[in-house]
Amino acid sequence: MKSTTYSDKVLDHFRNPRNVGVLEGEDIAVGRVGNPVCGDLMEIYIKVEDNTIKDIKFKTFGCGSAIATASMITELAKGKSVEEAEKITRKDVAEELDGLPPIKMHCSNLAADALRAAIKNYKKKENQPEPAKTEFMKITGVDRFKDGGVYHKVVDINRLKDKRVIILDRGEDSVSRACSLQKISPRVIFITPNQRVAFNRNFEERLRKARVKILFESEVLEIIGTKTVEKIKIHDLNEDEVYELFADAIIL
Amino acid sequence: MTWLLMPEQQCGSETMIYFDYQSSRPVDSRVLKTMLPYFDKKFGNPSSLHEIGDEATLILEQSRSSVAEFINAEPEEIIFTSGATEANNLALIGYAFRNRGNHIIISEIEHISIHNIAKYLQKNGFEVTKVPVDFYGRINIDALKQRITDKTILISITYASNEVGTIQEIPEIAGLCREKEIAFHTDAVAAEPQIHIDVKNLGIDLMSLSSNDIYGPKGVGVLYIRKGIRLNPLILGGGQEFGLRSGTENIPGIVGMKIAAEIMSQEMDQEVATLKGYQQRLIKGVLENIPDSYLNGHPRARLANNVHFRFDGIEGESLLLGLKDKGISVSTGSACSSKTLEPSHTLIALGLLHEEAHGSLQLTMGRFNRAQDIDTLLNVLPDVVRKLRKLSPLYKGV
Repeated sequence: MKSTTYSDKVLDHFRNPRNVGVLEGEDIAVGRVGNPVCGDLMEIYIKVEDNTIKDIKFKTFGCGSAIATASMITELAKGKSVEEAEKITRKDVAEELDGLPPIKMHCSNLAADALRAAIKNYKKKENQPEPAKTEFMKITGVDRFKDGGVYHKVVDINRLKDKRVIILDRGEDSVSRACSLQKISPRVIFITPNQRVAFNRNFEERLRKARVKILFESEVLEIIGTKTVEKIKIHDLNEDEVYELFADAIIL
Repeated sequence: MTWLLMPEQQCGSETMIYFDYQSSRPVDSRVLKTMLPYFDKKFGNPSSLHEIGDEATLILEQSRSSVAEFINAEPEEIIFTSGATEANNLALIGYAFRNRGNHIIISEIEHISIHNIAKYLQKNGFEVTKVPVDFYGRINIDALKQRITDKTILISITYASNEVGTIQEIPEIAGLCREKEIAFHTDAVAAEPQIHIDVKNLGIDLMSLSSNDIYGPKGVGVLYIRKGIRLNPLILGGGQEFGLRSGTENIPGIVGMKIAAEIMSQEMDQEVATLKGYQQRLIKGVLENIPDSYLNGHPRARLANNVHFRFDGIEGESLLLGLKDKGISVSTGSACSSKTLEPSHTLIALGLLHEEAHGSLQLTMGRFNRAQDIDTLLNVLPDVVRKLRKLSPLYKGV
């Protein structure tokens, strides 16, 4: 079956998704799950009163079936007791949607997972962010590319014209450098191991305004190349996934 | 022969707007008309010695000459195949198995057929290295030089990217290969309807072409093999196509490619000028009217029929479905639209993150697009993007 061959019900939920949005407040629990392989990210917000799911909202970055399954599960869960809602499976969601293409079955898994994660957080009241990491790990390959794309503090900015540059979070200086680099480079990526840039919301705004791409909760493991920097191996701390990113230079 | 009359040709249904010419092109009605007699009336086999056999031989050789003229080659340098994928296979495998040395270089942004042929050669004892590209999709020539060893026998670099449309610096790359005495192959399928390619002048050794990409039928392609380059055949049999590609010739298809090449030679300049106009309007219209949108690929060195965008916070397959609901056919580099669920290797090679590759939109235009198609798309797209961003946990803008 083609990936775009969806049932009418899937298409209906894709076109008119139910319960889109976020819930805010002390008594709200959030479930956030992502599947980096498919490129899906889903957030489900629940409000529980008298052990019943009184309100539920979702946000999804993903394909047609990811949107439809999230929309469907909010309908299935609304008004149910926490115990009943917890039992909703990916199969239930898929069946309610009159089936999904086989290759998409893991996407509906995501909706059920996100709801369960929200319920788990509601039970544990565990909505505090985890303590942030502050130190970078040692990066392999730094010495190999000393003259080939690895830079320490001082940079002749024009050497980086038209290059893809990675900048590590070293506080305010690195934020300013990233913003000025974006003017001459098509691609500047700012990497921080934390959930905030240098623990400061203003820095984040500055980077966003300058159109610098920010990678949160990530660390650089290795620099790869023949004679110059060609790729950077990155560890996504949140997903515990390692992947490679093509780049021409890195500022430590 | 002149082809002055442009046919009133509709692709698909009357209400459909088609922006996916890179995936498939309609056969030009002038091509189709010329092909038809070769199915039932002039059905001869060029290997037969009787009259309709002679007729088939004549049209086969005329077709070879026409296609040769299209790329400034000699007729005996043209081998008809079942398509560009077969031409790629014959070029790489045929060359590797015939010639000494064991190292082959391809780029990170080749068509999937080149990547998979390279994998096959690796399994068969060859060493394959991939050369990276910059953020715009241009081959890094220094990195290419660094990869050449005394064992390198063949370098295969696409003429222009079939996804982001970036045109490579082919004269430099071909010159480098010539200097190092390494054979140079290029997959020119995306470039052939847009660029007058002169193989002699450029010094190309092997080049793959497809008939469908110049509005001929599917199932036909060509491998150009410069005189003096030796290959092993992959398909053995009656020794057709100078012994390099056996099997009775697909005469109707070959005639189709002949006419398609003749029309393309005459109409390319006009067509490219029109497409460039559409391209400029699309790029300007999208980047100005949709916040947090970006152009992928090269701003200038790109095929006239290609635009490729990414939008923060949305996923390509849902974008494709949203446009499908408005009767617009497009393509995306998103994993969710592919069989493997992997995002486009070309977009990753540009240095895009997975989430960005997922948010991409590829629009490829062609002969039968009209100015109003561009208007419709520019009218519809901002709303589709806005609607999907409302759902997105990744999108922070308004």
